[in-house]
This record gives sequence, structure tokens and C-alpha cells, in this order.
Amino acid sequence: MIPQSHFLLLGAALFSIGIFGVLTRRNAIGILMSIELILNAANINLITFSKFSDNPDGLGQIFALFVIAIAAASTVVGLCLVISIYRNSKTILINKINLMKW
Amino acid sequence: MMSGLIQLLNNHGISHEVIIKATFYFIAGVTLLFALFVVLARNIFHVAVYLAITILGIACVYLYLDAEFLAIVQVLIYVGAIVTLFIFTIMLTADIDTGSIRGIILRVLVSALVSLALFFILVRVIVMTNWKVALPGNLPIDLPQLGKSLMLDYALPFEVISLISLAAIIGAIVIGKAEKK
Amino acid sequence: MVNLAHLIPVFPFLAFVINILIGRRVRRYSALISILGSTISLCLSIYTLVWFLKGSGSYTLFKWLILGGISLNIGVIIDPLTCMMLVVVSTIGTLIQIYSIGYMKDDVRFSRFFAYMSLFMSSMLGLLLADNFITLYIFWEGVGLCSYLLISFWFEKLSAARAGMKAFITTRIGDTGLLVGIFILIFSAHTVYFSDLANLSAASPLLTAAALLLFCGAAGKSAQFPLHVWLPDAMEGPTPVSALIHAATMVAAGVYLVARCFVLFSAQAPALIWVAYIGGITAIFAASIATVNNDIKRILAYSTISQLGFMMIGLGVGGYSAGTFHLMTHAFFKALLFLCAGSVIHSIHTQDIRDMGGVFRKMKITGLAFVIASLAISGIPPFSGFWSKDEILSEILRKGHPFLFAIAMVTSLLTAFYMFRLIFLVLFGKPRTEIHPHESPKVMTVPLGILSVFAIFVGFVGSPFMNHAFQKFIYLGQSHESESMKPDYLVMALSTLLASLGIGIAYLLYVMNKSILPQRIRRHFTLLYTIVYNKYYIDEIYDFLFIKPSIRLSRLASRFDLGVIDGAVNGVAWIFVILSRISSWIDRNIVDGTVNMIAKIVGLFSLILRRTQTGYIQTYLLIAFFGLAVIIFIKLIGG
Repeated sequence: MIPQSHFLLLGAALFSIGIFGVLTRRNAIGILMSIELILNAANINLITFSKFSDNPDGLGQIFALFVIAIAAASTVVGLCLVISIYRNSKTILINKINLMKW
Repeated sequence: MMSGLIQLLNNHGISHEVIIKATFYFIAGVTLLFALFVVLARNIFHVAVYLAITILGIACVYLYLDAEFLAIVQVLIYVGAIVTLFIFTIMLTADIDTGSIRGIILRVLVSALVSLALFFILVRVIVMTNWKVALPGNLPIDLPQLGKSLMLDYALPFEVISLISLAAIIGAIVIGKAEKK
Repeated sequence: MVNLAHLIPVFPFLAFVINILIGRRVRRYSALISILGSTISLCLSIYTLVWFLKGSGSYTLFKWLILGGISLNIGVIIDPLTCMMLVVVSTIGTLIQIYSIGYMKDDVRFSRFFAYMSLFMSSMLGLLLADNFITLYIFWEGVGLCSYLLISFWFEKLSAARAGMKAFITTRIGDTGLLVGIFILIFSAHTVYFSDLANLSAASPLLTAAALLLFCGAAGKSAQFPLHVWLPDAMEGPTPVSALIHAATMVAAGVYLVARCFVLFSAQAPALIWVAYIGGITAIFAASIATVNNDIKRILAYSTISQLGFMMIGLGVGGYSAGTFHLMTHAFFKALLFLCAGSVIHSIHTQDIRDMGGVFRKMKITGLAFVIASLAISGIPPFSGFWSKDEILSEILRKGHPFLFAIAMVTSLLTAFYMFRLIFLVLFGKPRTEIHPHESPKVMTVPLGILSVFAIFVGFVGSPFMNHAFQKFIYLGQSHESESMKPDYLVMALSTLLASLGIGIAYLLYVMNKSILPQRIRRHFTLLYTIVYNKYYIDEIYDFLFIKPSIRLSRLASRFDLGVIDGAVNGVAWIFVILSRISSWIDRNIVDGTVNMIAKIVGLFSLILRRTQTGYIQTYLLIAFFGLAVIIFIKLIGG
């Protein structure tokens, strides 16, 4: 069967791709989407460990469920922030928003 | 579903093992390819679609990990809800054609280096570690067991998650509400 | 031979997908796509029937899920009931789709309509083929969804949108019952398969509850009292929809469910009696409303409810073959009735029968079909309705339910009366308003003709002339005691007499004396007439009992919120304001002084550090990840 490490490698690759996206996307929505990739990479790892553990009690799956729920909640709030930023400054390009510096 | 398909192919003389491996690597490849599209594509609307495909691929990967329920949840919540939300937001905000690479070559190069470095470090860790081989006796976790532990052992986290979702909904309404003029 | 039955729902579904995706581009051809899908299903249904008669049966397709120790295999059930229903549904569906080409010709959402119709066909056929409760429930909801979409198809009309909602919510009440019933069944009998129901022969309270809840679902779908309120309103949809969904097939789903679980019901005697009495109440209740209503489609809708009640009585007294036989014949003649009504409405653009009259002279084919269908539903021999209705009547008598028998007899009298009231008011006499009827196009009249042939002859398969072939067929594989098949001539004579009496009264009232007698009825039975005319105030009662209180409750909650909770919050806030005034004074004069001094020192340092802060979040992140990489790298090297 497929060895454990291959799943983990898939997760690592997705994670790195997600980080690259977070670092380079100029569109705030794009950044949020890249964050979804990172969360999914984490979920793959969780489920993999859950499956290959000595004591398959499904804890990893439950954790992954929680991650999905939190991801959904955070996306909702994030997207709302994007909309309200857009409403205020008519742009969602991250390099035009530098509110962190006043 | 899967097992039915595999049985069908088995009847045509292709072994179980080969089918599972071949399909897994194919799906993993497709998933990574579309993940790359997600971070590289220029049109943000296309990105949303690529994200949906990537997530479907990941859902398929879950099937290989005996997590059918999570696969379904993944499809329902990500594709059904989150990607839809993304698309709504894209439609509500006008900047569709915004590339990631234009103008800031240095930033992109440094970012690529950092992500590649992280990737290789992770690969090194994964390759060096001596992982256990899957126990053949491991039964797939069945749904009732999952539901029970969610409702009994992890009831408190579950309730906290519900509270967070509620807070997110209310917060979203408050933030997103148009201000009265 | 090959197993092809599971492909039956696939083709209409493909038609749905094609129509919903590229319907706008193919325009008129979307009708052809849908009809093609249904026709293939029809052929496959007939093939399955033949295949079944050659001695094959249900089979399993693949394993889907493991639920609490029950492994759920998706399979296809093929037994007499399914075969019969498959052929009936696909035949009627195909004919109605052909008819719809004419009826929906000028509609802006032409292809959307056919897409929904195909989806409906697909769900209904899937429902019939389901071999376990889980798949049945999935398709059951599919049927409900299509019904909602099609009832509110003309959603520009507020009433249509409301009717769709009403149908959806009302059937939802039943569906919830069905779902809970399935849960109880899984819990107590550990099975979801219909084939295992035969093993549950012991009477137990839990199984009785399960059966009653299943019947609750069936009552919602089949518009049985008290969940019948949605069906008359559902007439807001296009008429072919009324014909397909709310007459011939979808409402049949409820009766089908009871028939499918008949072994379960017959083991639980109390549940079965409930079915019979609910059916009886529904039958007479709906029939009485139909006698005073003035909307051509609503009369037919109430007649559908009444006939469904009839089937429920049939099943409830244990007449499995009688109930299913009536289900089949009713599907044909009720579809025909609705299509005729649609043809009339299409031609003169009104639904109020008081505005019609004398239509027959201009619409010969439609009129003839209308009369045939009415004779069939009234139970005049040798039309199809006679045989099946008679079967139910004699079954009731044989099982010894004199009260139900009386109800059924009165209902059939009323049925004949209101059907011929409709016929006389619409087709004959003089036009009462300016109407210009004209015959509908061929594409509409040909399905009418075909259905008329069915409405006349389909009853013979269960008649003594053909040695009760239908009853013998449907009983194949059912293990319980066979119903006796001796024709009961007394009942036959009595029911024919009553039906003729009903027609006679209608003739007397609406042809001989048509403007005076309704007035006279109104004078003598004003109270009764008003109650019946207002549909026994059921809608108003529901409004009063459920809808108004829930609105009032929410108002109360909101007032409580505004008054009590907000008041308390404001009071607390006020106390805090006073406290904070005091602390602010301390703050401003003592603390701020200290803080400001510190701040100024920090500010001096910040002026230097500020240069590294670009304000772009991605720069910060880049640095953070770079740091992360470095830390892990050092950790790796170091050990």
C-alpha cells in the first residue's frame, strides 16, 4: 500500500505552495485562499497520523473536523473584513493597504 | 463506491494494489498542479475554481486514508460553502485581474526561496524519520464511533466550536453590514 | 439478459443536466432531449417488466457505507409493484412531456421547465427502484424538491411562490415523520432493506410507532388529512405539472410507500386501522369540498386527495392488490383529467367554471376525453375506475368495516356528482361569459387520445374478464393470505347505481335548472355550504393554531429583549459610566503623567526602529517564515 511518508510529502508540498501564495498574492482574497491550502495540508497530516497510529481512535479525524469548522469560521470573518476594507478604500490589493503603519 | 469500482477493474485482471497506487499518485499530482495554479494564476476568479478542484483532490486523498466521512465533509464545507463564499466576495469586490508576480520580482524570488527552503527541510525530516508501516489489522474508523466520540469525549470542544461559529456569523453580519448614512 | 433497471433514472437525469446547462442554447430542442430521456426510460421499464416476468429479480449494485453495523448496499428492487409503477410513471411522464410542448410553447423558461420535469422523472423512478429506506429517502426529497420548483415555476406570481413554499413546508412535516420512522426502524429492527420487513411479523409498540411515522411521511406526500392543505394550492403551477406531479405520480409516492411497507403495516394492526380511517376521512372530506369549489383545477385537486384517500382505505383494510390497482388506474384517468383541464384553460384562459360553458362544441377531442375520464373516475362500467373502485369497495365489505363502507359509498356518490357538475358546467350549456374556445394543437390532443385509451381499457387487466390478471401479478412474492377474487355483484350494482345517481343529481341541478338550484341549496344549507365552501376552515385553523402563535411568540420574545434585557444592560452601563468618570479623573491627572513620560522615551527609540516597519503584512510574514525556516534548520543541524 501507499507508505505514510508519501501522504506527508503531499502535505508538505501543499503547505509550501500555500506559504508561497500567502507571501506573493497581492489580492487579499487570494491570500485567504492560500491559507485554505495551508489548513488543508495540516488536515492531510492529521488524518494520516490518525490512520497510521497504533491506536486508531479517530482522534486525528475529529481534530481535522474541528480544523475545518474553524477554517470556515475564519474564512467568513476574513472575507467580511475584505468586503468592509473594499467598501472603505475601494481596493483589496494588499500592497495598497498599509494600515499597519500609520 | 470505490470498492465497487475496484471490483469491476479486478475482474478485468488488473490487481487491486496497482489500481490504488496508480490512482493515488495521479490524484496527488493533479492536486499539487492545481494548488500551484491557485497561487500562480492571474485571474482571481479562476483561482477560486482551481481551489475547488484542489480541494476535491484532497477529498479524494482522504478516501485513501479511510476517512470517507471527512471526504464528504470536505466537499460539503469547502466546495459547497467556502469556495462559494470566495466567489461571492470576488463578485462583490471588483479587482478580478490582479496578478501576483508583476512588479515585485525581488519579493517573489525571496518568497520562493523561503517556501522552497521550508519544503526541503520538511522533506528531509519526513525522509529521515523511520515511519511505521501501516498495520494491516487497522480497521477503518466507522462513522458511529466518530459521532460518539464527538458527542461524548469531545463534547466541550464541540460546543466551543459551535460558539465560535456563532460568533463568526454575528461578527460577519456586524462587519459586513452597510453603514447607515 | 442484462441488468439494466438501474439505468432507468439515469437517462432523465442526463436530460436534466443537459437542459439545465445548455438549455438556453438548444431552446426548443430541450423538449426533445427530455422526451428522449423519458422514452428511453419507458423502454427500459418495459424491458425490466419483461425481464421480471421471465423470473429475475432484485440485485445489488455496490456497497456504499457502513452505518452502525448495517452495511448499506445500493441495489435495485424489482418486484411486481415496482415494475407496475415504473411502466405507469414512465408512460404517463412521457405523454405529459409531449403534451407540455404545446402547453408551454410561449413560456420564457421553456427549457428550464423541461429540465425540472426530467429531474422529477428521474427522482420518481429512482424512488421506485430504491431497495432500502435510505435511498428511498434521498429520492423522496428529490421528488419534494422538484415539486417545489415546479409549483412555484411561475414565481413572478406571488401566489405561486407562496404555494411552492406551502407545499414544501407541509410535506416537510410529513418527511420529518418519515425520517424519524426510518430511524426507529434502524434502531429497533437493525435493517433498512424492504426485503427484511417481512421478517418483522411480531407486533411491537415500537414497530407500530415506526409504521405510523412512515405513514405520516406518506400522508404528507399523498396529501392525506390533515396534511392535505398543500395540494389544492399546488395548482398554481403549470397544468402539466399538476397532471404529472400532483395527480399521477408524485402523490402516488405516499401510497407507494405504504404499499411497499405493506408487510410491516399488516403486522401492526393498529397502524393499519389508522391508515384506513385517515384515508376514509380524507376521502369524504375532500370530495365534499370538491362539490362546491369553482376552480376547475382545484376541483380536480380535491378529487385527487379524495381518490388517494380511497387508495389508503383500500390498503388500510388489507386490500393490497385493490389499493395498488386503484393507484394504477387513477394515475391514468387523473392525468387525463388534468390534461383535459389544461387543454381547456390553454384555450380560454380562465379557470373559473362559472365563466365557462358550451366548450364541447368547439373542442370535440378534449371534450370527449374529458367525458371518458370523468366516467372512469365516477366508476361507471366498463371504464377503468369502476373495476378498481369496486375492488376496494368489496374488499372493505369483506374485511367487515361497515362504517368505512358507508363512507366509501357516499364518497363515490359525491365523486360522480362533482365530476359531472364540472362536465355539465364546462362542456355543455351556453357560454356564460365571452369565451372563444378552440381545439388545442395535435401535440396536445394526441397524448389525450392515448391516455383516453388507457383510461378505458387499463381496468380490464384486473377485471373478472381477464381472470384478475393484475391481482395475481401483483401478489407474486407476497406471502400473506390472498384476497378472494370472486366478483361481488351486489357491490358492483350498488356502486354503479350510486354513481349514476350522482350523475343524475348533477344533471338535474346543472342542466335542467342550473341557475336556481344552487341558490336554493345555499338558502337551505347556508351554514353547511359556507363551511364546505371555505374548505372547513382548515387553512384558517392552521393559521390560527400554528402560524399566528409563532409570529406572536417571536414578537413577544423581541419585546422581552428590548424591554427587560436591554433595560438591565442600560442600567449596568449607567453605573459603569459613573464609576468610569471617577477613574478617568485619576487617570488623566496621575497615571497619564507617568505614562506620557514613558511614552516619550519609547517614542525616541521607535523613531529609529520605525524604518524596518513597511506596513505591508506580507513583508512581516516573509520575515516570520524565514525565521521559522532558520530555526528548524538549526534544530536539524544541531541534533
